Amino acid sequence: MASILLKNVVKSFGTFVGVQDMNLDVVDEEFLVLLGPSGCGKTTTMRMIAGLEHPTEGEIRIGDALMNDIDARDRDVAMVFQGYALYPNMSIYENIRFPLRMRQVPKAKHDDLIRRAAEMVELGPFLDRKPGALSGGQRQRAALARAIVRQPQVFLMDEPLSNLDAKLRASMRVQIKHMQRELKVTTVYVTHDQIEAMTLADRIVIMNKGVIQQIGTPDDIYSNPANTFVAGFIGSPPMNLIAGTAQSGTFSSAGVRVPCPANLSGNITLGIRPEDCQIGGDNLQGQVYGVEPTGDITYLTVRTANKNIEIKAGREFRAPIDSAISVGFDTSRLYFFGEDGSRVGVN
Amino acid sequence: MASVRKSGGDNLLVRYIILGSWAMVCLVPILWFLTIGFRPRTEIIVPEPIYWPTWSLDAWRLLVSDWPIALYLRNSVLAVAGSVLIDLVLAIPAAFALARYEFKGREDIGFYILSTRMMAPAIVAVPIFFLFKNIGLLDSVWALMLIYAAINLSLVTWIIRSYMLDIPKELEDAARTDGADDLTILWEIMIPACLPGIITAAVIAAIFAINEFLFTLLIASTSKAYTMSVALANFTGGSDGVIYNAIALVSFIAFAPILILVILIQKHLSRGLTMGAVKG
Ligand SMILES: Nc1ncnc2c1ncn2[C@@H]1O[C@H](COP(=O)(O)OP(=O)(O)O)[C@@H](O)[C@H]1O
Ligand SMILES: [Mg+2]
Repeated sequence: MASILLKNVVKSFGTFVGVQDMNLDVVDEEFLVLLGPSGCGKTTTMRMIAGLEHPTEGEIRIGDALMNDIDARDRDVAMVFQGYALYPNMSIYENIRFPLRMRQVPKAKHDDLIRRAAEMVELGPFLDRKPGALSGGQRQRAALARAIVRQPQVFLMDEPLSNLDAKLRASMRVQIKHMQRELKVTTVYVTHDQIEAMTLADRIVIMNKGVIQQIGTPDDIYSNPANTFVAGFIGSPPMNLIAGTAQSGTFSSAGVRVPCPANLSGNITLGIRPEDCQIGGDNLQGQVYGVEPTGDITYLTVRTANKNIEIKAGREFRAPIDSAISVGFDTSRLYFFGEDGSRVGVN
Repeated sequence: MASVRKSGGDNLLVRYIILGSWAMVCLVPILWFLTIGFRPRTEIIVPEPIYWPTWSLDAWRLLVSDWPIALYLRNSVLAVAGSVLIDLVLAIPAAFALARYEFKGREDIGFYILSTRMMAPAIVAVPIFFLFKNIGLLDSVWALMLIYAAINLSLVTWIIRSYMLDIPKELEDAARTDGADDLTILWEIMIPACLPGIITAAVIAAIFAINEFLFTLLIASTSKAYTMSVALANFTGGSDGVIYNAIALVSFIAFAPILILVILIQKHLSRGLTMGAVKG
């Protein structure tokens, strides 16, 4: 159990900078999720914490100890890899036992610990099998069991659910969160799936191109995105971003008119979430581009001169394609972003 | 269109006939040659071939009484097995380093190792002869063991390296975070994971070593160090002229271990022989 601290951490591969000047403070027992598109440096960050990659610059601390010169095997960190990385020649039992043997845990304790870990991920009946004889979900749980069998200071999980089907993913998500609360081990979890991030995290770190975009609780990130990248990444569908201009208290773009803070002017991007739009109103005029009923909600796409706008309409909403439609925005939930993409006009 | 991929039926039969004929073409000479080994001498050189042999152990009796075949076999086995063992002990750590550690010139060293295999052996024949003469190992099985090991080391290293490159790095990273050091990773993770590759490399090396002729001829001058390959070449059957049935039998004894080895690893063999096509 320990906190993790990254201070001005940089990782370059030759001239390419994979992680840029990263500052991160993971609190003891926290569940922190690194979220971002593929290639944004999540895995690299995690591997640096594990000691599998050395930072080009900066400090990494676990607990209070400086880790920069500590080998991966001497950091008390357990990692779950994206491909599970089970040892193919060993049975599941031996796989789970491997970290115990390596850490010189007394032999007499092994069996007990292994069975308890296997129990926790409901893998009891499969201990004698080789990894090759397990399904994807079982392998995933075996990898989890191997990580939890010795109570490490830190769990690192790199997209552990990305190879599973949607249903299994949802049930494993709950299981992982429950397990983390029970074991109270500081956890850093990497994913590119925002639902996973929102549901699991105490705090989310959003990354793009090696740079942290925002750190905050899921609620915070959802309701106060720091920039257009975060706004456009979180939510499904994500926030609508409409480029336009602001002048004396009004934002306008082709077919769109909303009030905005009086101090904004020039090129501004308006952000509005699909659930904050309703049919009928005078903020947006356009044509129906598509209507997608899903049962509990209907997704409506409205075409304006510049852009298609996504709207979550009521479950019974239907409209013929190309019919004219007007839309109102919840003006208390408008977001404005400046030319560099960062949020402006917040009181 | 539908009939093209018709499963079973005539199609399958045709395939079996074609493959069976091909197998016959390949196997008949070997079988024929095996029967020669078990015929009386009088039945071999005749104007009209005799297809249905009279079985006889004449050749076998002659071999056992006149020819130190057990000694040759022993020499072969000792030199070949020893050389393969030396190769594995040296090649596995080298392959691990070439496959996994980052260091300057890694690719160049890897290719240099393989390129030593491409040299014509005759170029080093004379230096090798004097080398072993000076260290007093002429006409010795130990010398053959060392030479076979040297000949095959590069190939064995290269094959094992190519298998190791195919093992996901994550496996090693996992072992490292679990607390394993390099030696443990090599011994408990890498070697078991690429065991098929190690076996393939060992068998290929064994085959090359069993068949080695040039250096064996150079080093071995008496039956003290003769192996099957050289003994076979020197064997004519003794004072009674060329005894073909005995020659056939000796050839078959020399050939059988290779056949057995190839059957054992045929699943992996094509992979091992095309390892250049595998990445790196
Ligand atoms: N060993 C490496 N050598 C060169 N570039 C690398 C290496 N590892 C990662 N990268 C690059 O760094 C960037 C971030 O990679 P990664 O951390 O794996 O991204 P993510 O896990 O967010 O998808 C990618 O563009 C990747 O190509
Ligand atoms: Mg990744």
